[in-house]
Amino acid sequence: MKIIEIKNLKKTYEDNSIPVHAVNGVSLSIEEGEFTAIVGPSGSGKTTLLNIIGGLDDASEGTVTINGVEINRLSSRKLTDFRMNNIGFVFQAYNLIPVFTAKENVEFVMHLQGAKKEHREARATELLKAVGLGEMMDRRPSKLSGGQQQRVAVARALASKPKFVLADEPTANLDSKSTENLLDIMEQLNKEEKITFIFSTHDQRVVNKARRVVTLEDGKIKSDITKS
Amino acid sequence: MIWSIAWRNVWRNKLRSIIMIAAIALGLFAGVFTMAFMQGAVDARIQSATKTELAHLQVHAPDFLANNDIALKIEKANEMVRNIEALDSVVAASERLIAEPFIMAAHGTGGGKLIGVVPQQEKKVTDIWEKIIDGEYLEHESRMPPVVIGEKLAKRLRLKVGTRINVQMIDRSGDLSMKGYRVSGIYRTTNTAYDESTLFVKFDDLKAQLGMEDNTAHEIAVLLDNGNEATAVKPSVEKLAAGYKVQTWKELSPEMSLLTDSMDQYMYVFILIILLALCFGIINTMLMSVLERVKEIGMLMAVGMNKRRIFFMIILESVMLTVTGGALGILLGSAVTKFFETRPINLTMFSEGLESYGFASQIYTSLRGDTLVTIAILVVITGLLSALWPARKALKLNPAEATRAE
Repeated sequence: MKIIEIKNLKKTYEDNSIPVHAVNGVSLSIEEGEFTAIVGPSGSGKTTLLNIIGGLDDASEGTVTINGVEINRLSSRKLTDFRMNNIGFVFQAYNLIPVFTAKENVEFVMHLQGAKKEHREARATELLKAVGLGEMMDRRPSKLSGGQQQRVAVARALASKPKFVLADEPTANLDSKSTENLLDIMEQLNKEEKITFIFSTHDQRVVNKARRVVTLEDGKIKSDITKS
Repeated sequence: MIWSIAWRNVWRNKLRSIIMIAAIALGLFAGVFTMAFMQGAVDARIQSATKTELAHLQVHAPDFLANNDIALKIEKANEMVRNIEALDSVVAASERLIAEPFIMAAHGTGGGKLIGVVPQQEKKVTDIWEKIIDGEYLEHESRMPPVVIGEKLAKRLRLKVGTRINVQMIDRSGDLSMKGYRVSGIYRTTNTAYDESTLFVKFDDLKAQLGMEDNTAHEIAVLLDNGNEATAVKPSVEKLAAGYKVQTWKELSPEMSLLTDSMDQYMYVFILIILLALCFGIINTMLMSVLERVKEIGMLMAVGMNKRRIFFMIILESVMLTVTGGALGILLGSAVTKFFETRPINLTMFSEGLESYGFASQIYTSLRGDTLVTIAILVVITGLLSALWPARKALKLNPAEATRAE
């Protein structure tokens, strides 16, 4: 089942009055349960593409349809709600709330969704256990390693039961062991829970794990390979 | 969880928040204490004016106060005093005769206001008898009629207890009347202008000198249970004093009324200036707090925290910061005020200047509950207003850029 459909997507911005085509006519479909890596050199448009898919940035042209909803047409408020209920985000710099514990960080999105306290607590506990942090739920981010923080971010991304998770260079700040650990967890969630992951990455280890690799260059798809 | 995140964010940079909270607390403490001090000074002035000088209500013949014509008198004064005293809110009433004499003493002369009182009755209404610093009040019989004078007049005319003065005035028949009085007592109030110009003699002595008929008076002074009820009680007294003019202490002394009314306004302006100054500090703190969290705010927007909630969170942080400092300042101010409610602040070194304006040199602070409530509301409003710009700054962030900010 197709959950993301991108048609002729373009994003142009001006750099010192010179138009820059960050994304230049990308068309792409993502099926449910995919484990896709978007790769390419710096400036190829990976992050811009991910931001547009995640509704964090506007497209200059083209459409992004998620689960049948054309998100370009949504108002800012509706788009925020749409993101909350449909998309999970994992950022390169983890971006956890430093004043909250790991558990509270995971709970917070559910709180925004209006979930009851008991439900939030139970799900946050379940997710943190799933990412191997069952013993560290009450620690604040400053008391966790980079890898552990990123695992909390993955748990947070899954807390709202999203249709898919967008991960923007999730392993860029991690050492090899943490990267391997994180990728194993995400792969396991993908296989067992059928959660769709889309990464932007430079990291060959992520590319190796991905079952589909979309390569961008100068804002265009250079190759789109699905591994058998 | 928004309340929780807001509160924890306040304490994210402890030193910065503590400095800001201390500044707010200090500002509010200064504001509350100054208000209490000024209110205490005004209360003491009003208390002095009503308890010592004016009482709460006065009855006169129409135009008496404008002309000081001794022929403008109250008839059947005794019955009127008794009837007024029978009213529920009235503590006591006292009839008075008033003349504007020329005073001659061995070392000088002067004018003033001579008030003839029935001592036992007057003691129930005003407290001049408690202000005697030398000699005694008018109750004792003596060969020469007694007079009580203020300390300031005594100093100017070099009078002492036992000294004789001659008092000259026009009597009811229009003749010049001269009478000798002996100083029986010297009083001191907190109003030197009053002390210099007001003399008290016995009602009957002045009555005889003026040649007034029996059962008449120029003024009836009325003391109430509560001075704030003067306006409410006035119509009841007016019914009993038909044909005469009844005035409250605020009407009799408009400057006193102005002092009371304007003091509140001045004090709120003072508090507003303090809060305005603090407002810039709070804006700065909140702005730094927002700019330090661009990435985090971007993440919150990305994961579904809408603009309304982000705005609310930042407003809440600012209000929490301000209210914490404000509450500390108000509590500290109230505690210090409470201490000085029973122990006077001694300003005797400025007594001459203060007393020439009618203010006491020992001031007991006074703080009303409604004043504190108003200050608390102003503190919350300051917190709200101070957060508007930082909150707007946060709302303008683009989540895509913010999440990747350095």
